[in-house]
Amino acid sequence: MSGGPTSAVDHTIPVTVLTGFLGSGKTTLLQRLLRSPRMVRTAVLINEFGEIGLDHLLVERADESVVLLQSGCICCSIRDDLKSALRGLLRRRDRGEIPEFDRVAIETTGLADPAPILYTLLTEPVVRHRFKLESVITTVDAVNAELHLSRNPEGIKQVAAADRIVVTKTDIADREQSAALRETLGRLNPSAELLDAAQWVDSPDGSIDPDWLLSPRPFASSRTGPSRPRVEAGGHVHLEALRRHSAAVASSSLALEEPLDWTAFGIWLSMLLNRHGDNVLRVKGILRVSGMSTPVLVNAVQHIVHPPQHMERWPTDDHRSRIVFITRGVDHALLRRSLAAFSRSTISDFSYA
Amino acid sequence: MCGLCGVFLTETHWSDAAITAADQGGRTRRHERLHGVALANRVLKHYGLKVCEWQGSAYLLSSQTGQTSVVPSIAAVWPVAERLRKRALDPLDESLIEVLERSG
Repeated sequence: MSGGPTSAVDHTIPVTVLTGFLGSGKTTLLQRLLRSPRMVRTAVLINEFGEIGLDHLLVERADESVVLLQSGCICCSIRDDLKSALRGLLRRRDRGEIPEFDRVAIETTGLADPAPILYTLLTEPVVRHRFKLESVITTVDAVNAELHLSRNPEGIKQVAAADRIVVTKTDIADREQSAALRETLGRLNPSAELLDAAQWVDSPDGSIDPDWLLSPRPFASSRTGPSRPRVEAGGHVHLEALRRHSAAVASSSLALEEPLDWTAFGIWLSMLLNRHGDNVLRVKGILRVSGMSTPVLVNAVQHIVHPPQHMERWPTDDHRSRIVFITRGVDHALLRRSLAAFSRSTISDFSYA
Repeated sequence: MCGLCGVFLTETHWSDAAITAADQGGRTRRHERLHGVALANRVLKHYGLKVCEWQGSAYLLSSQTGQTSVVPSIAAVWPVAERLRKRALDPLDESLIEVLERSG
């Protein structure tokens, strides 16, 4: 969409990135999603063929190989395997070697940092014109989450990059532990929608409604009001290891009272990401931009900024700019003051329902 | 890239991408670029730097000692400015925030 008219017909193929730690239920989720008749025309890219097979027409393998750009940071690197796999899909489809497809699902390895995958989708010259990153879905296993997330830095990045987090194995996890996990995930990434995998187990054929998992609904569940209540001490399970490990990770949900000057915001965010991009795990916002009646979505993972997206309408009655920041080791009081000073705005808190 | 001046002409930076739609509200592209220059200079002044618009296609970033660099967008100013000044330009620097707060 960069620079183009917003009414242009969109021919890009939506891509869903499915990430999550090994054994957290990525393949099961994908398998059940692909059972839906509406997912027949989905091409699937996976890093490794697991024990659970995928009975799908179009399953391709992408070997993990990262090409680090000169003077680039790790997040800004093209995943060569992904580039080749996506280009290969297009080529083989054009030659009639594989069926037509209208969606791509990428299942990453459990240890993958999602940033290079997103960077490849958003910047590789061919890929970015033919595919459109729709959403990042992260599976988190309610039984082993504490162990996985506290031992692997990629786990926190996967949670921060998610648009939707599917908590799996809630049926066999301790109830209080599941509640504590949901609380922790909500603190780490307040912008992600939290879904419970147990919701789909009752469907007759075990399939998942694609709308439930895939349809974009950014900021649809947000509300104004006091901050989400925290789980306090006493009678509750605390995920101590995870809390210690993620202590430096903080999130803020801010609302700006006045319409935002887009240019001022661009100057501020580009300066922030230039200096602190490694530690800005996520920026996700819906903005009320001066001179525009409809909202603009911004979305950034580390140094990687999605093209801003114009929405047709506001998802709720709250028409203020609302931005979620997830950072590591960044002073949020300064972040807030800095944004207010650059944008000449008044900033308040908001919270998600 | 333009062979004569070294300006990248390939991509629209994300920070410029929403402006096209805003144009429809009446602001011209030139107005938008000059607005960006004015806002960036509020910040750059604190570091003894200045940016100006250049022929509708790029920006010139210069230091008080006369060092000049061409940058393709306002957003691309920061790494170049850090190299020119040999220091970090941090939007979370309290002294910068205080200057901006005072200037309103």
